[in-house]
This record gives sequence, structure tokens and C-alpha cells, in this order.
Amino acid sequence: MSILSLLLATAAFVLLGLATDAHHRRRFGQCPPPSRRRMLRTGGWLALVASVAPAMLARGWIFGPILWVGVIMAGAGIAFLALNFLPARGAAGDRSCM
Amino acid sequence: MSKGFRQSQAFLHTWSGLLLGWILFLVFVAGTIAFWREGLNRWTRPEIARVEQPMRVLAGSQAFLAKKAPDAKSWIIPVATERSPGAQLFWVPQPKPGEERGRGRRGGRGRGDTQVLIGADGQVVQARETRGGEFFYRFHFDLHYMPVIWARWLVGFATMMMLVAIMSGIVTYKKIFRDFFTLRRAKGQRSWLDGHNATAVLALPFHLMITYTGLVTLMAMLMPWAVVANYTDQNIVFAKLFPTAAVVERTGRPAPLIDLRRIAADAERRLGAPASFIEVSDPGDAAARVSVSQSANSMLSSRTPRLTYDGVSGRLVWRSPPPGAAAETAGAMIGLHAGRFAGDGGRWLYFLCGIAGTVMVASGLVLWTVKRRERLPDPTRPHFGFRLVERLNVAVIGGFPLGIACFFWANRLLPVMLRGRADWEMHALFIAWALAAVAAFVVRPARVWPALFAATGVLLVALPVYDLVATDRGLFASLAIGDLMIAGIDATMAVFGFAFLWLARRVARHRPAAKRVRKAPAVITARVLEPAE
Repeated sequence: MSILSLLLATAAFVLLGLATDAHHRRRFGQCPPPSRRRMLRTGGWLALVASVAPAMLARGWIFGPILWVGVIMAGAGIAFLALNFLPARGAAGDRSCM
Repeated sequence: MSKGFRQSQAFLHTWSGLLLGWILFLVFVAGTIAFWREGLNRWTRPEIARVEQPMRVLAGSQAFLAKKAPDAKSWIIPVATERSPGAQLFWVPQPKPGEERGRGRRGGRGRGDTQVLIGADGQVVQARETRGGEFFYRFHFDLHYMPVIWARWLVGFATMMMLVAIMSGIVTYKKIFRDFFTLRRAKGQRSWLDGHNATAVLALPFHLMITYTGLVTLMAMLMPWAVVANYTDQNIVFAKLFPTAAVVERTGRPAPLIDLRRIAADAERRLGAPASFIEVSDPGDAAARVSVSQSANSMLSSRTPRLTYDGVSGRLVWRSPPPGAAAETAGAMIGLHAGRFAGDGGRWLYFLCGIAGTVMVASGLVLWTVKRRERLPDPTRPHFGFRLVERLNVAVIGGFPLGIACFFWANRLLPVMLRGRADWEMHALFIAWALAAVAAFVVRPARVWPALFAATGVLLVALPVYDLVATDRGLFASLAIGDLMIAGIDATMAVFGFAFLWLARRVARHRPAAKRVRKAPAVITARVLEPAE
């Protein structure tokens, strides 16, 4: 259950990160169209909210919230490292997206 | 938000972070290492076998004390676990007539002849004298070579500054939350800033929690007024916060003490959790009492419940009342700070967050110089304040890790029979650190940075190799018997060693880009990477 929570939190932050101009360009070679950005953001937030449940199921009401906070930190850390250090297809190029 | 407010907050962030930043760095490093306190207690005593049957240690402890100190005032026996090196027990002798001794447990140091370590086989072990992981735990808030009370004030003050720095940082740079996925590499100041932001924001819940709860651990000292206003006698406060069973008078009639294993088993059944400490008062007397405290590993609050038994019949005579809401809250916060409840996974998370905090403080300190270097009127001859900060950064950020590496080596190499051996281990740390500090102030920073990092790296990488060759607790031997704690410490040291070496190389190879910035963002990326490895 804690693993599931971690996976959801990691997915959440990867989606939120991809919704930013810089990372979207790096990964997909173009700026995110507004609809797609909205989709990524919504998906990210939903996954983040969803990661609460398994944390509570795993550790109960006292340690569950602590676990969850730990999990979102770990998830954000993994997402941060993955987004910034995994080699990307698209070139970084200039960062303006207008 | 008005510009004036933002600017004042930025000012606050810069200076609250800088002034006590070096102390914060020490506190963060030592505190982060102290999350592995129990593991290091074992790692620093490689001659000790792992505890597999805690009850055997307890029986051995009782047998030893019954022979050695049958008429002591009290015995204090920690219950051994698989994580501990054994039972570091001690006893308090009967006070001589006319000599009043205060609270025995808080007697502090100087009880050297009344304590002994019982090993896995229930016998006294002759282990090397060392402070082990306890050193980092105490240094984290007591520092060293100075009166404890000064150190705590200093650390407490630094912690308050930290809280101010975190808050003003959030207020000033709201953009960090939008930008925190971004890491621009090899871009000088921008990269430092991104690294500082990333380590700050990624572990922000941890930073806030650890700083705030850190203040809670010192609150009675920092803000004594509530206590002073409500209680005239400190002892009453103490008794209310840490209730104990009513004291019984020694009868003078001898009576055999019950087998402590039976009491421990009963207590663990009633508490529904492992026991951590057993305290026997007036052993061998008809009025003997046995108190058992629940282990802090099993619950959030650090104020654990206690049970008291009649030491002869084994009847339960008292159990601690549930603590008040305020005491429970404080206990929970201290528990959260120390993370004793955490299993191995949680420990790692605490550790990684601690590293993030360390990097945040270190990068913030370096950022101060990076930012100002560009604005110096004459970069070849900076003003005094700039040079001071620059050199202090080298001395502390570069020197302290080197000192720690030397501490571990001293632990391995100092002769076992050396008098004051445990002290010399600590002296080794501070001597190495002092030398590094002298070097930092004498030689150019561009030379000292890579030299210190490289030395630290070599020392750390060599430690597991030494363990492999010279002790029977090498990495593979530990893995073979499934002792993941010791194996993990060896492996982690190697990883950190390589990280330091890599760091040294990056710093040494860096050529300032058109005299703008001295160092590449190597430091940040390297330390951020560490957790992932």
C-alpha cells in the first residue's frame, strides 16, 4: 500500500512537471497546448489526492498522514530527478513558449 | 504585495540564513547522521556480535548485576534489540549517609565505573571504548568543548533563525513553487539558486517540521515563562510531566528479585509493544520495584507509558496515567523530530530529507558569495566580509565532513587500550577540522575546496575497504549473515566517498566563466543526485 501511494505521488509530480513549458518542450519538443496542459495538471492533482488513500490504509490515522507527507516528498524528489536528469529527446532550446 | 515588504523579507532571508548558517550546517549534518545512531553504535564496535535473542541479554544483565551490585539503589537496564549493540546497563550505588544524590538517571557523565555493556551472549563484552552514534546525537544539540547550556542556547537561537529564514524564504520567493521542477545546469548563479530552491521546496514539509519540532525539544529552556509562572518548584513540573509510581521505603528485609524476563514479557503483553527500559529500584529487598517503559519505536509520542511491578511477587502495582493533551502534543512533536518510530524505509526518508536540508543550508551559504562576487568592485581583491564568508564556507562545509571521516578512522585505528579512547576519537574529528580550517584561511579557496573534498572522499571510500580487510564485519560478511544495517552503513560511506571525489573533480576542473562565477553548479547537482543512488 505504501508503494502504491509512492507510485501515485511520483506520477502526480511527473504529470505536474510535464505541464510546465520547459519540461514539456524537453520531452515532447513543443509547448503544451492549453487543453493538454489542463489535462496534465488535472491528472497530476487527481493522482496526488488519490495517493492519500493508500497511505491511510497502510498506516492508519496517526502514522498515515506522516507517511503521506513522506511519500509526496519522495515522489516529488524522484520526479524532479527524473525530469531533470533523464536524457530528453527534444533540445532545451530557448525557453519562451509564446 | 508591496515591493518594500518583499525586499525586507529578502533581506531577512539573506541575513538570518547567513549569520548562523554555519552552525545550522553542523546541526544538520550531525542530526542527519544521528538518524542512524543505533546502527552507528553497532558499526563503531565491530567486535560485537549482533543481538539475536534479546531475552538472553536481559537474563545475562540480571545475572551480572545480581553478582556485581546486589545492594545498589537502582539498576537501569535497556532492553536489547536487534538494532542495539547489546544492553548498556548501569547502576546507581546506595547513597552514602549524608550524601544526597539527585535524580540518578540524569546524573550525566562520570558514571564510568558503574556501567557495562552486556553482549548478545549475555556476558560482559570488552568492546572498544567509543561514543559511536551517540556522539552525533549529542553534538547535534550539545555541540562539543563547551558548556551544554551555552550550546543549547546557540543551537536554539540558530534554529529560530532557521525558522525565520524558511518563512521569509517562502514569502519572498513565491515563485519557487512554480519553478521547482526547473534545474538549469551549468548556468552559474541560476543553477545555484535552482539547487537551493529544489532542496528547499522538495523537502519543505520536513524542513518546517524538523525546525519547529526542534524548537519544541528545547522549549522548556528557550521559553521557561509558562513553567515559571505556574509552578514554583521545578520538581513538581518534572513529576507531572514524567509521573512515576510512589516511592517505597527500603525495608532491609532481603527477598529474591523475580526473573526480569517474566516481567518484561508481561509488560510487553500489556503494553502491546516492545519494552525499552527496565528500572529496578532496591533490588534484593522486599520493597523492590521494577518499572518498564514502552519503546519509543512503537509509537509517535516520545513520552512513552510505564508500568511498575512489585519486584518480588511480580504483581502490577502502577501504570502511568495517560498524559495531558499538551504533554502528549509535545511528546508527539519530539517523536516526530527524532523519527524513532520510523522503520528502515522511514529512516531512509528522514536521512534523505536531512541531506536535502544540509545541501539547502550549504548551497545557501555558497550562494551568498556567488551572488556578491559578480557585484564586487574589484573581483581580485574582495572586501573583508566577503573573504570571511568565503573562507568560513570552505572551513565549515569542506572541513566538517573531513573531520567526520577522521572520526570514523580514529574509531577503527586508535589502539583499544588507549586511555580516554572515546575522547580521542572526538579530538581526532576536531583536530582534522581545525587543520582544514587553517588551510581554508591560508590557501586560496579554489585550491582548498577540491583538496578537502578529495581527502574526505578518499577517506570515506577507504573505510569499507578497511572493514573488508581488517575486520570480520566487512560488507560481504555482513550481507552473508543478513546484517543489512552494517552492510548499509559501509555501502553508504562508499557512495558518499565517491560523491565527494566526483565533487572534488568537478570543482577542480572548473574554470571561472569569464571571471563571473568561480564554481560550476557541480556541488548542487552532485548532492541532489546522492539520494537517488
